[in-house]
Amino acid sequence: MSKTIKNYIDGEWVESGASTLIPVHDPATCEHLADCPDSTAADVDLAVRAAKAAFDEWRSTPVLVRAQYMHHFKVMVEDNFEAVSRIVVKEHGKTMDEARGEVRRGIESIDFAMSVPVLMRSDGLEDISSGIDETTVRQPAGVFAAITPFNFPFMVPLWFLPTAITCGNTFILKPSPQTPLSTEFLFEMLDELDLPEGVVNLVNGAVPSATALMEHPDVTGVSFVGSSAVAKIIYETCTRNGKRVQAQGGAKNYIAVMPDADIEASVKNILGAAYGCAGQRCLAAAVAVGVGDAYDALKDELAKQVANLKVGYGLDETTQMGTVISDSAKERIETMIAQSATEGAKVVVDGRDFNVDGYEKGSWVGPTLIADVQPDTTMANEEVFGPVLALMKADSFDDAVDIINQSRYGNAASIFTSNGKNAREFKYSVNAGNIGVNIGVAAPSASFPFGGQKDSFFGDLHGQGMDSIEFYTERKIVIERWV
Amino acid sequence: MSSLNTFGAILSYAAEMEAQLGAYYAGIGKAERAKAADKRRAKLERVRRENVVEITLEPIEGLDAADYALDLADVSTEGQASVENIAARFYRDVAPKINVRAAQRALERCGREHGGS
Repeated sequence: MSKTIKNYIDGEWVESGASTLIPVHDPATCEHLADCPDSTAADVDLAVRAAKAAFDEWRSTPVLVRAQYMHHFKVMVEDNFEAVSRIVVKEHGKTMDEARGEVRRGIESIDFAMSVPVLMRSDGLEDISSGIDETTVRQPAGVFAAITPFNFPFMVPLWFLPTAITCGNTFILKPSPQTPLSTEFLFEMLDELDLPEGVVNLVNGAVPSATALMEHPDVTGVSFVGSSAVAKIIYETCTRNGKRVQAQGGAKNYIAVMPDADIEASVKNILGAAYGCAGQRCLAAAVAVGVGDAYDALKDELAKQVANLKVGYGLDETTQMGTVISDSAKERIETMIAQSATEGAKVVVDGRDFNVDGYEKGSWVGPTLIADVQPDTTMANEEVFGPVLALMKADSFDDAVDIINQSRYGNAASIFTSNGKNAREFKYSVNAGNIGVNIGVAAPSASFPFGGQKDSFFGDLHGQGMDSIEFYTERKIVIERWV
Repeated sequence: MSSLNTFGAILSYAAEMEAQLGAYYAGIGKAERAKAADKRRAKLERVRRENVVEITLEPIEGLDAADYALDLADVSTEGQASVENIAARFYRDVAPKINVRAAQRALERCGREHGGS
């Protein structure tokens, strides 16, 4: 019999008052791993009360002590690295390498939080007028919450939690109900840290708990990562309720491949960008735009290399691509592939009706390559969030930039080229928040903000980097005169 | 199909090979060699943990574990030389396939410790 996951509130594992349970499955084996409670507004209220009560003591805990907790936390995650990675694989379906990469990037965010004692410092100026000094101080701002997605169940919570609490805030996490086991393990480690009760809290669930967090008057700010449609709702709801908000949405990321690029090497990297995590990441390469003569060479090389990708269960280390998250995701992705064919595109490698021996119940979609995609079609414009790479042709560099900039999304865009002028022009002209040059997944490291423009981001301050210090602190100006 | 086709598959194979070599040398009373193998195993596990770079994960081609099978039943002097040669060849072959320099350097060093150039 599988377990029902508990919430972690005020330093205790507690049962939710939810009447609804959401089943959690291994998407490759279909094994029922656990049940996730669809926590209620009352559960959220308990968590917020605990976080609010903990705030005064925690904010006055010396920042070096708060950072020291992060040192211990990092050691714990390192010690449990393989165990965490395996949980990520089991509940998400990605490969072991991808899971290890995710955990590593999560650790980088803990590393960043250790820098908070430096990054929270502010400045001052003597004698702004005769005998009057002016200084700025940063103070923690209160109770923060994060609503995080299924696709990076361990990493994305760590974009927020370590920096938020090291800045002196208290925190509530609501992870995706599709992948709550990684965060359960995360909180088991946090519990071992012996943080003061209420500093970190976990509320599992779906819409009711997310809504309650956004509407609770004692929540100062909310971070969100997910689809654009939901990000917009989160942004509007939070701002209506007077909260800070950073809402990262979906994407349709383009990769321009110039005729001067090393096609074989580029394709190798594009494969990882398009099919890594089975395409279920907001930085996934969705459309490769072959410029001029590059188009046919790109199509041929992609077709060759895509066909060689080994799809299978993530715990088998020779697997190069895992499953998608659920049968409903598989159905949605396969419908979009079918639609692209009706819209005139050519399905060069078809991942529909894909199966893996021994895992027949899994939610498999094979790596899919669709050529001759036209600009005004669904495949060119809508996010698939699956292992599907569309190919479009551009006559020139300028034409490629126009295609990219017509997208309503602006999360990431990359160029593969050996020409510095093209690279410079691309960086300058393309409207996307994360730009890659000869890198298919332009994922910022923890000390840089995670970019995002247009419908890919709603808010002012992004996650990670100095933006996160701004987001999690309040600046106070002090003007002093002593006579 | 290549069975050493990912960063993790290669590092895990290397760590497992060193674990087997550790047991092999411990079994024939060569404590120093066993200790060295165990040290390499621990290092390789650390390298696997610390150098997996999500944004540059790429498929790896042309390597098959079957080409590096060790005959651990042969404990003769020649047998020992053979496993060392195979281990050195393994590291020589896999290091250039890894696109993270720190991991590549660790593999090269393991190869040198097995007598490779």
